[in-house]
Amino acid sequence: MTHQVLGVVGSYPLLVALWLLPLAGAVICWALGPQLRTLAGWLASGLVGASFILAVLCWHDGTQSAAGTVGANQPLFSWMTGFDFGLLLDPLSLLWTFIITGVGFLIVFYSIGYMRGDPAFARFFAYMSFFVFAMLTLVLSDNFVGLLVGWGLVGLASYFLIGFWFDRPAAVAAARKAFVINVVGDVGVMFAIFVIIANVHSSGFGDTFAAAGTLGPGVILTICIALFIGAAAKSAQVPLHTWLPDAMEGPTPVSALIHAATMVTAGVYLIARCAPLWNASHEAQLVVGTIGGLTALLGAILGTAQWDIKRILAYSTMSQIGYMIMGVGTGAYEAGIAQFFTHAFFKAQLFLGAGLVIHALSDEQDIRRMGGLWKKMPFAFWVMLTGVLSISGVPGFSGFFSKDEVIYGALQHGHPWLDGIGIVTAGITAYYMFRLLFVTFLGEYRGEAPVHVGGPGAWIMNVPVAILVVPSVAIGGALLFGGDASPWAHFFAPLFAAQAHLAAAQTPAPAISENFTSVIVVIVVAIGFIIAWQRYATAAARRDAVQRLRREAETMPAVLTNLFYFDAAIDAIFVRPAQAWGLFFGRVFDPRVIDGAVGEIVLIARGLGTLVRSFQTGLLRAYALILVFGAACFIAYYAVAGAAH
Amino acid sequence: MSVPIGDYVTLASVMFFIGVIGVIVRRNPLIMLMSVELMFNAANLLLIAYARLWLQNVGHIFAFIVITVAAAEAAIGLAIVVTTFRPEKYVDVDDIAALHG
Repeated sequence: MTHQVLGVVGSYPLLVALWLLPLAGAVICWALGPQLRTLAGWLASGLVGASFILAVLCWHDGTQSAAGTVGANQPLFSWMTGFDFGLLLDPLSLLWTFIITGVGFLIVFYSIGYMRGDPAFARFFAYMSFFVFAMLTLVLSDNFVGLLVGWGLVGLASYFLIGFWFDRPAAVAAARKAFVINVVGDVGVMFAIFVIIANVHSSGFGDTFAAAGTLGPGVILTICIALFIGAAAKSAQVPLHTWLPDAMEGPTPVSALIHAATMVTAGVYLIARCAPLWNASHEAQLVVGTIGGLTALLGAILGTAQWDIKRILAYSTMSQIGYMIMGVGTGAYEAGIAQFFTHAFFKAQLFLGAGLVIHALSDEQDIRRMGGLWKKMPFAFWVMLTGVLSISGVPGFSGFFSKDEVIYGALQHGHPWLDGIGIVTAGITAYYMFRLLFVTFLGEYRGEAPVHVGGPGAWIMNVPVAILVVPSVAIGGALLFGGDASPWAHFFAPLFAAQAHLAAAQTPAPAISENFTSVIVVIVVAIGFIIAWQRYATAAARRDAVQRLRREAETMPAVLTNLFYFDAAIDAIFVRPAQAWGLFFGRVFDPRVIDGAVGEIVLIARGLGTLVRSFQTGLLRAYALILVFGAACFIAYYAVAGAAH
Repeated sequence: MSVPIGDYVTLASVMFFIGVIGVIVRRNPLIMLMSVELMFNAANLLLIAYARLWLQNVGHIFAFIVITVAAAEAAIGLAIVVTTFRPEKYVDVDDIAALHG
């Protein structure tokens, strides 16, 4: 059996180094944390930054193409015959590596300021570095088993960081919830790997994709759906999304890095990586695309009903990942990945901007107790404004281009209803993001907490945010403008070219052009903006803000305050039956059946023992008598038996 | 003119039963040990008598083994008696029942 390997096999020491540097940071911060003190932050961010520089140096290796394959493959070791572990750097993993290490560096650097004075300062940076390493393992692995290892480790890092402040019960509960739901996804991926190994006899991407054409449609569908269960849990897709808003209990930089920019997009990566499998199963594409569209819509609707600044951003993340999943699910891989790329910038920027506000207001997160902050925190205001413009898809900003690609991609691949969902969601997105901006920054300050701005070291937090503004405003236009002729399409052409031809051959060209959908999206976004303006930004609205916001909270429909009853449904279907089983086994089965059986055996042994004990008098002469009596019986028996013969 | 085998058997049986009665009836452990020795000797007498009757040496060999074992048994038995009854004023096996269940 010849092995198919993705990428040009060779020796790439830089690739191995960029993979292991964050691990070194984690180990050092963990082992020497008390000695390092604040140095831990500089060390961790320095190593992640070094990792980013190495990723840039690996650009050529990652984009080289030879013999029908693209990228670099560094074999590392073999764990069983036919199961080799290696690192694969191709345009897809290169892009993810850039975001993980690049945006990761900015966020870890920002954390030096945000976590200042925390008693567990070094532990935070050990976890952050560990997360970066785990995420790199996930995206750089050239086989499914290695991917699953990374997949599990990022879930673990997420658990550590959500529950970072473990003296808060809510944080611990949220960490546990995230971990359990993520394990549901891990099981899905594991099941898919079992099916792959049973059918392909290898876990390598190359072998699997080479065999994709020969597997039966049922097998492909099973693999795809099982993989998607994993992707849905990790990427907060309906109905496995409930952990993501709760995960906001972690420190804000964690929300920015793990629960917005990188980890939650692992599902998008998985689907894009397994494009050859999805291309072979139209049904799987339909399921994934529909769930993605549904998540985008539900996330956006729920985003309109939140008061916690981080929860609004969390639902917005869920909605944006819905877009990405819709993109990669319908076969518009480049569009879905583009949405991931721009989202990583503007969502990290929004979270870090929100972190500036939260930090200045002494951990206040309720936007009803904010307001008027643009005068006190102009820098945070401009950061949030550009982020909101980008995520809303205002023409010219990065988010506009990527969202447009996804929406048009759905149409292009023959899913007009998903196209419609995407357009409606874009309008709702504009509404809730401008609502967040207006309520937080316009009008008069409504809170009690004093506003602390600046202070020594404020630049540590401001500089990364300022840097993030640049790509979140401009990178979309720079890379995505021009459709099939854009640098983006050129970059990914070697990976997805075959898919593009396939789609073009199967689906007739849509009746309306991309420009036309763009215009519709812009109109819908404008409507969303106008509604938000009318409700929160007019002079009257700003004057009566306190009463208006209270009335809005009181008249909020129950279906929204209960978050569409997803938590209640999961509770009723899974959690409470599981609890009932637990109680049954704990209070009935264990004491009555298990302990009961053990108790019965004990009683029998004790009864026998009491009986036998009565023979053991300890009197020597009694023993002698019994002995003689026994011997007499023996002799008598043989005497009688002998006489009988 | 040899002694008939029946006489040996009768003598050995009498010795054996004296030993048995001694072990069961007497309460002094030293007497009990002597009774046990009596039973050994009854058995030895039979072994030798039959070895001579059938002109085989196996009986002699067995008799020597029994004597050896009896000597060891007496040594250990006396040692146990001495250590067990050292704190006691009188020697009576009915007074000790440490292995009572």
